[in-house]
This record gives sequence, structure tokens and C-alpha cells, in this order.
Amino acid sequence: MSRRTRLILAAGVALAVVAGGATVASAMMQDASAQLRASGQVGEQADGYLGLVGSAPAAVRAQVDSVNIKRRAYYTDLAAKRGAKIEEVAATTACELFRTKVGAGQYYRLPDGVWRQRDGGTPIPLPGYCG
Amino acid sequence: MKRSLLTSMRCDATQGAMRRMKILLAAPVALTSAGCVQVSAPEKPIEINLNINIRQEVVVRLQQDVRDLIKENPGVF
Repeated sequence: MSRRTRLILAAGVALAVVAGGATVASAMMQDASAQLRASGQVGEQADGYLGLVGSAPAAVRAQVDSVNIKRRAYYTDLAAKRGAKIEEVAATTACELFRTKVGAGQYYRLPDGVWRQRDGGTPIPLPGYCG
Repeated sequence: MKRSLLTSMRCDATQGAMRRMKILLAAPVALTSAGCVQVSAPEKPIEINLNINIRQEVVVRLQQDVRDLIKENPGVF
């Protein structure tokens, strides 16, 4: 094998490793909130943010904070665009997340502040304003 | 007598230099801590307020935008 071939091969391997790492990272980012909900340590709240169901390890708390900060940014942006309050956008999002994203056995928290677990077949009883 | 005076004089000089050194050392430290914005990670960065007072008409108006937002950002929602 010539030196040049070896160099090209090494570059190819390095590129594949970097690309693979990036794919894994983006895949993890893609369903961060879904994974958190599925962990049972985190649930959806009526205020439009993720919350900790019990005392969660620091790593989980950090992930929840990270997701919530991003959510807050999106809510703020949409609220400004539509002339609505941030809390209104956030609560509307919560209605939609309760409908479509909280799976069986996963946790949710209505305005009464109590964590509940969604059971299999029944949908989450939505707050009156959800429409 | 003379000797002890000399010793004490030298000691004074050393102490003065030491004091000056301390000031010199303290100055950048004070400057750094003054120029540095203290960012400590709070336990709860976002205050969760579940007592929300939302009107249904607002929710209906925002619904489609919110659906799009969720669809476009699968990692966040």
C-alpha cells in the first residue's frame, strides 16, 4: 500500500467517524423531549414546559432545563409574532402536547399541580381553555 | 544599638515592599472579580406557574401556529 493510499484511507475513516458522531448527536437531539418523557422522570406540564416528576439526577435536570430554555425562546418568538402573551402560547402548546405527545404510562401535570400518569386507552382530560 | 537600628530599618523597608507587592497582587484580582459577571446556575431557571388564566379564543387562534411549531422542532417538543 502506498503512502498516499494510506493517507486517503485514514482521512476517509476520520470523516466517517466525525459524520457518524454528528448523526448520533443529532438523532439524540431530535427526540430529547420524547426520551425524557419516556424515562418516567419527566412529564409535560400545563404551563408548556417539562417538569421533574420526582427528584431526578443532575443530568436529567440539566436536559430538562436545556429543553425548557429552547421552548421559552420559541414561545417568546411566536408570542411576539402573533401579539399574544408568552404564557398563552405556552399553554396552547401544552394542550397540543397533552393531546399528541404524552404516551401511555407517561406523566402530565394539569393546573391543579398534581402529577398523573396517563393510562393506556384514555386521552388526558384537558383543561377547559384547550378547546 | 546601632546594629539593631539597622536591622529594624531593613525590616521596615522589607515590610513596605511586601505591602506594595500585596497591593500589586490584589489589584488585578479585584479587577478580575469586578469585571466578571457572576453566572451561577439557578436550581430552577424557569419559574413554573401552573395557575394560568387562558381564554379559549386565544388558544384557538394560536392552535395552528403551535401545531407547526411542534412539528418543526421534534427535539424540543
